[in-house]
Amino acid sequence: MYKLNFRFLSQYWGMLLEGVGRTFIIVVFSLIIGFVLGVLLALGRGSKTKILRGICTFIVDFLRNTPFLVQLFFFFYGLPQLGINTDPMITAIIALGINTSAPNCEVIRSGLLAVKKGYYECSAALGFTPFQTMIYVVLPISLRVAFKPLTSNFVNLVLTSAVAFYITVMELMGSAKTVTAHTSRPFEVYLVILVGYCAFTFLISFISKYIDKRISITL
Amino acid sequence: MYDKYMQLTWNDAIQFLRGIGVTLSITLISLIIGTIIGAILGLVRCSKNKVVSSLPLILIEPLRNSPLVVQLFLIFYGLPMVTRIILEPYPAAIITLSLNTAAFFAVLVHSSIKAVPEMQWQAGYALGHDLKSTFIYIIFRQSLRILVPQAITLYISQLQCSSLVALIGLMDLTKTGELITLRTMKPFTVLGIVFLLYYFISTPLAKLAQKLEKRVGFSY
Repeated sequence: MYKLNFRFLSQYWGMLLEGVGRTFIIVVFSLIIGFVLGVLLALGRGSKTKILRGICTFIVDFLRNTPFLVQLFFFFYGLPQLGINTDPMITAIIALGINTSAPNCEVIRSGLLAVKKGYYECSAALGFTPFQTMIYVVLPISLRVAFKPLTSNFVNLVLTSAVAFYITVMELMGSAKTVTAHTSRPFEVYLVILVGYCAFTFLISFISKYIDKRISITL
Repeated sequence: MYDKYMQLTWNDAIQFLRGIGVTLSITLISLIIGTIIGAILGLVRCSKNKVVSSLPLILIEPLRNSPLVVQLFLIFYGLPMVTRIILEPYPAAIITLSLNTAAFFAVLVHSSIKAVPEMQWQAGYALGHDLKSTFIYIIFRQSLRILVPQAITLYISQLQCSSLVALIGLMDLTKTGELITLRTMKPFTVLGIVFLLYYFISTPLAKLAQKLEKRVGFSY
């Protein structure tokens, strides 16, 4: 009978914590990139120019219908061909940010569609230009509406970031793999990692529920 | 001298086809198993008994809130250590993917049944149906309308997730693409082909889901 043994934790917890830190950095930066790109794509999909709308729709469809791993390979093997040699970590951040912009775009777009025509007319009557209407009136409202699905996208982003270990980024999953190689106790190590990710995502959804209660509005 | 080695040949096309076969077979098998397990878990979730209905959460929550890679590695590398059963990559991939699908599908089943208004149950009882026949003839059909478009979206995302089996050494479409990229050093061409293949497999499904969503997208 196999006995579970978690004694490796006392020796390797520093390594795992370093991994948590790197995961955190990757997630935060790709969150920012994904959010900005998502807003831009959502605005593009709602624009009046047909070509811009078509391009944005195609990009979102493409990102949603292809696996993240292949996108990661594309940047990992593709960027050096263009003469850009960067850190794998930056590659992972770029790939994750671009990947997560597609679901963000969908969510923000549905938020934009939830803003009624009256708001546009109202702000036009108050003398706002279309650009100002977007920045000061429509976007804040739609982001509030989209907040909850955005956080679930964020949880997804955290889970997807585990794939980055394959391009030699030593984030949580990567350091777990190293610890496994040192201790040859894969079951325990991956169990610990699994619980760690679960705790992280539960924390996110707990905080987001709290924030959502405070900022949610009914249109 | 290496020019010939680095060229794309017709043999690569066959490799790609094989990769598609592996990807599709893994996805299909695990989706079928996952749907069945998920439906059962989802129905248990709908139970009136609080203890019984929260039992599936023990399985569902960890599966939904942890990365698929970790689950895959836990089963492929971890399980043989504990149970002394040596798993080949293929069954390991199927076990993981079907459990993962089951967790997500159970939530969909649960929410779509809950989305049918309580009044429909009462109406069924008033017409003399018992619990079973109310469920089969009244509730189930209405919940299908909500379930089917979401389920197709889930299936598409599971198809994308199936690319992760490349990480435990299965020669699926992604792994084939990576190996050919490494040999030919033409990432844009080869990975472009892989992108297009995935895109053409999942786009018809996505279009179908959109169409269904439009058709059934009205409220009670």
